[in-house]
Amino acid sequence: MNKRIYYLKNIKGFVFDIQHYSIHDGPGIRTTVFLSGCPLKCLWCQNPESQELYPQLFFRYDKCIGCGECISICTQDAIKLNGNVVQTDRNLCKRCFKCIKVCPNEARTVIGKEITSGEVLEEVFSDKMFYHESNGGVTLSGGEVLLQPEFSSAILELCKSNSIHTAIETSGYGLWESMKKVLTFTDLVLFDFKHFNDDKHKKLTGVSNKVLLENAKKIWHDLKIPIIARVPVIPSCNDSILNINQTANFISTELDRSIKVHLLPYNSLGKAKYKNLEQPWNCFSGTVPSDEKMNELRNILESYGLSVKIGG
Amino acid sequence: MNDRIKRMVDRLKVDKYPLCIEKFRIATRTLAETKGEPYIIRRAKMLSNVLNEIDIFIEEDELFVGAGASKPLGLEIDYEYGTWTQDEIDSLKQEQYSITHEEEAQLHELNAKFDDRNLVMAIGEVLYENEHLRLFMKSGLILPPWKGKKVGSGGGYAQSGLGLGPGFFLIGVDYEKMLNEGSLKIISQADEELEKIKYSNGESLEKQEFLRSVIIVHQAVINFASRYAQLAETMASIEKDEIRKKELKRIAKACRWVPANPARDFFEALQSFWFTFLLVCPSPTSAAGRFDQYMYPFYRKDKDTRKITDEEVLELLECLRIKDIKLNRVSGKANRKKNAGMAKWHNWTIGGVKCDGKDATNELTYLLLEAAKETKIPHHTLTLRVHDNTPIELMQKALEVVRTGLGMPAFVNDKSYIEFFLKNGMSLEDSREYIMTGCLDGNIPAISRTVSIGMFVVSLAFDIFMHNGINPNNGELVGLKTGYVEDMKTYHDFKSAFYKQLEYLLNLAGEKNNVELLAQRQLFPDPFRSSLMKDAIKEGKDILNRKMPFENGSVLCMIGVINVADSLAAVKKLVFDDKKVSMKELKAALDADWIGYKDLRKMCLDAPKYGNDDDYVDLIAADLYRFIEKTLAKIDTAYGGKIITTAISITSHQPGGALTGATPDGRRKGEILADGSMSPMHGMDKKGPTAIIKSACKINQDSYQATLLNMKFHPSSLRTDEDLKKLSFLIKAYFKNGGKHVQFNVIDKKTLQEAQAAPEKYRDIVVRVAGYSAYFTVLDKEVQDEVIKRTELSLV
Ligand code: SF4
Ligand code: SF4
Repeated sequence: MNKRIYYLKNIKGFVFDIQHYSIHDGPGIRTTVFLSGCPLKCLWCQNPESQELYPQLFFRYDKCIGCGECISICTQDAIKLNGNVVQTDRNLCKRCFKCIKVCPNEARTVIGKEITSGEVLEEVFSDKMFYHESNGGVTLSGGEVLLQPEFSSAILELCKSNSIHTAIETSGYGLWESMKKVLTFTDLVLFDFKHFNDDKHKKLTGVSNKVLLENAKKIWHDLKIPIIARVPVIPSCNDSILNINQTANFISTELDRSIKVHLLPYNSLGKAKYKNLEQPWNCFSGTVPSDEKMNELRNILESYGLSVKIGG
Repeated sequence: MNDRIKRMVDRLKVDKYPLCIEKFRIATRTLAETKGEPYIIRRAKMLSNVLNEIDIFIEEDELFVGAGASKPLGLEIDYEYGTWTQDEIDSLKQEQYSITHEEEAQLHELNAKFDDRNLVMAIGEVLYENEHLRLFMKSGLILPPWKGKKVGSGGGYAQSGLGLGPGFFLIGVDYEKMLNEGSLKIISQADEELEKIKYSNGESLEKQEFLRSVIIVHQAVINFASRYAQLAETMASIEKDEIRKKELKRIAKACRWVPANPARDFFEALQSFWFTFLLVCPSPTSAAGRFDQYMYPFYRKDKDTRKITDEEVLELLECLRIKDIKLNRVSGKANRKKNAGMAKWHNWTIGGVKCDGKDATNELTYLLLEAAKETKIPHHTLTLRVHDNTPIELMQKALEVVRTGLGMPAFVNDKSYIEFFLKNGMSLEDSREYIMTGCLDGNIPAISRTVSIGMFVVSLAFDIFMHNGINPNNGELVGLKTGYVEDMKTYHDFKSAFYKQLEYLLNLAGEKNNVELLAQRQLFPDPFRSSLMKDAIKEGKDILNRKMPFENGSVLCMIGVINVADSLAAVKKLVFDDKKVSMKELKAALDADWIGYKDLRKMCLDAPKYGNDDDYVDLIAADLYRFIEKTLAKIDTAYGGKIITTAISITSHQPGGALTGATPDGRRKGEILADGSMSPMHGMDKKGPTAIIKSACKINQDSYQATLLNMKFHPSSLRTDEDLKKLSFLIKAYFKNGGKHVQFNVIDKKTLQEAQAAPEKYRDIVVRVAGYSAYFTVLDKEVQDEVIKRTELSLV
């Protein structure tokens, strides 16, 4: 094996899921690699398990029979019985995962794992015949790919060297240096636009949108990499007419009218996962946007000459 | 769907289907009247009497005519297979069938009077005299298990369709001959041939009898159409509504002309087709063949002369679906399980390549799909032949039908089927004309024939092997003594001993099939179907008595192969490779149905499973499939040639599973087996559709007459046109890499609710959650509820 490839294949990183036959994350049939860790804290986050970089305990409370096996094995005294089921103090938990092995009912599992880029490649490569047939490829998603730039770029470079089309899905929030590194081997960027107003953006996601808007411009104008804009639609957070107009204006004038926009309606299916992670629910009570609302927003975007699709 | 079709669809919703005895009565009488005459003539007269005497009627709104029984939506008792005993009739009445008191009494009289032989009796006489075969028949290795010499597995058949039953074989008759030449031409050809006969050899008398019987039935066919013409004329004369009057007159005019003469337009062609189809029924497996091809010239001509519009054609095609769904069928209790209720496979094959290799898609291909999509009626079946140049728009159209939840069309791979026929010595041109008969068995219209489909339960053979030849269900020694598995030292020894056992049992299955074939040949000559096979008149032989260019005299269908492959993998891994458990302990766990062996069962469940693109087990599955095919290819059939294997489970994975004890793949005793033949065991595929396909591609499917892969999708993966396009690519990728067939189930609300209640059976259902997909059963209850709610909304 050539030395560089060897080096690339042995870079380690954290991944919480690899999904085959992804059909809403870019062109064709794709494999989506979900990287762990995210610097943003979006109120409506539907994948709370993606926020942490390191593997964590995933607790299926509905499967717990309260047998207490896990309590006895835990050296940290992190687990307590609470009614019929147990509860784990995540601040005390040291993630030794001993409790998982003793649970008789598979109520305790780990989410996320450390894996080499070579292993990721193998998993991605196994679907080559489908990429070939459908002009598909790999999409790195997250979490935030920019949080693990070495790892991300290694996977992408390996894929490229195997003629696999590459895409990343990103919030755009990261150092330009990391961005550039990752983008060297990226054919397509799925860029999330969450809110145009910086104050709102901070409130909703915990970070400013200045950097990411700048990054978007650089990707398009300097690196000339194709972008698909992805706009999650979260009622009463970012679905105001004003915000959508501003977003449309930014995409069509600061970037380019040829950029396709995907409007992604919020759904509340991620909610239960907070319980699985034993994280306090952030009280976000989003509703699912109505079809009329989605169509209205589409019409706005289209009036800027953009082509829009509802759903990814 | 226009108002007429809506009304007709509404009228299909009935509580009970009447069982009718008129055909049985006519048949019994004819058999009595014709005692001593040649058997084929007796059968011809039987058909002729049915066509001349059976009650006919024209229903409201019908545009073309011909019913399959003496009452609307009725099923006629078939005498040919076995007898309907009281307990079988009682069980039917508890289901959706009805019979009047009077007719029930008459049925018993007819049963008592009937002194001819039926298939069960004929087979029973042979199989029950042979010790090996008797135990074999009782074991259920071929479904369903026999209960006794005279009753077989119990029950007979009741079916709609006016032809000669029971129609077990898979063929495609030459519809074109009926549409383009007609019955009169066939009669005159038979006449000419009769005159030419010289009684110089043994076959000349057979030919004479055959030709006479062909003439008898085609005359009856013409008469039958005239009866309809007469009825339509009478009805038209008293009809007040001008539009309906015109429709009835059109029916009368068509029935006066076809199928006696060549059809002159699309409407007549359709009426002629339907009469022909009614006579190749009863049969659960009557095939319409390449309907979009042979009907196209009539469509084209009418379109060019503006005689018909696409709306009118669509309406007629929708009527055709309604006509077909009225053709019902029911069998005895045990057989009902094997084939799930009123299952039938009236298969219409569409698309594919023409005999010159060019794409065959035309307007009718799309219109047939549209008719299914609009009416949402589950019959007739549609199978789309796919090749490299199948338009992506056609694939998308087909998937729009799939999306409605109809489960059709099935997609089959031209390359694999054509390869199969080429390998079996057919010409390229003929091979390209293959059609679907039955579920998915390929045949070439008019020149190939497949008879006697036995469902062989491979997992039960494995169970018998694990017990050194003893059938664990009854303690009888049905197999070979291949040794105690506890004594086997290596995986190789273990596998070889199993293969030896399997080979022995497959040979018994071959014998059983041969007995059935010979009995059928004796009992069921059929001049009508026979007359529509290639060179029928010149050959002068019944279809069961001639050697066709492609013979699959006997086809055996393998059930539970995937469970056995998973079991072999688990044994290899846990007992021999990793030595984590002894064979003794494993065997004890299986015999205890895992009770008290929870950890061992978990280890077995965690062993490599087919469907995850894992060579460890996939290659074991591939090897097992190859072994079965090669073994059967050595077994002679009574018609000449060897057995050809097929692998489609229909619904036999349920009764097959019921007979099979606990298996090392972690399956419990009696639990259902993997469905289809290329599908993984439910809940065992953990990596999504692409991994399933990659596993299936490792099996050499080209040598099989049919294979079956079922895939499930949640509607959220089929929402947009682009989603459908991507699914088309998935299909095409499968077919380019060795797949033969795939069909899709769209998961509905009910399935999800069942999955909530019994997650272990539904572990393979994938739903798209937030941003990515997940296995439904691992979601929390409230999320599941949310998904269920959304499922209804997203279904179109
Ligand atoms: S992972 Fe370790 S520290 Fe955390 S709860 Fe389980 S046993 Fe205790
Ligand atoms: S071991 Fe598992 S089932 Fe038992 S209390 Fe802990 S989490 Fe619940």
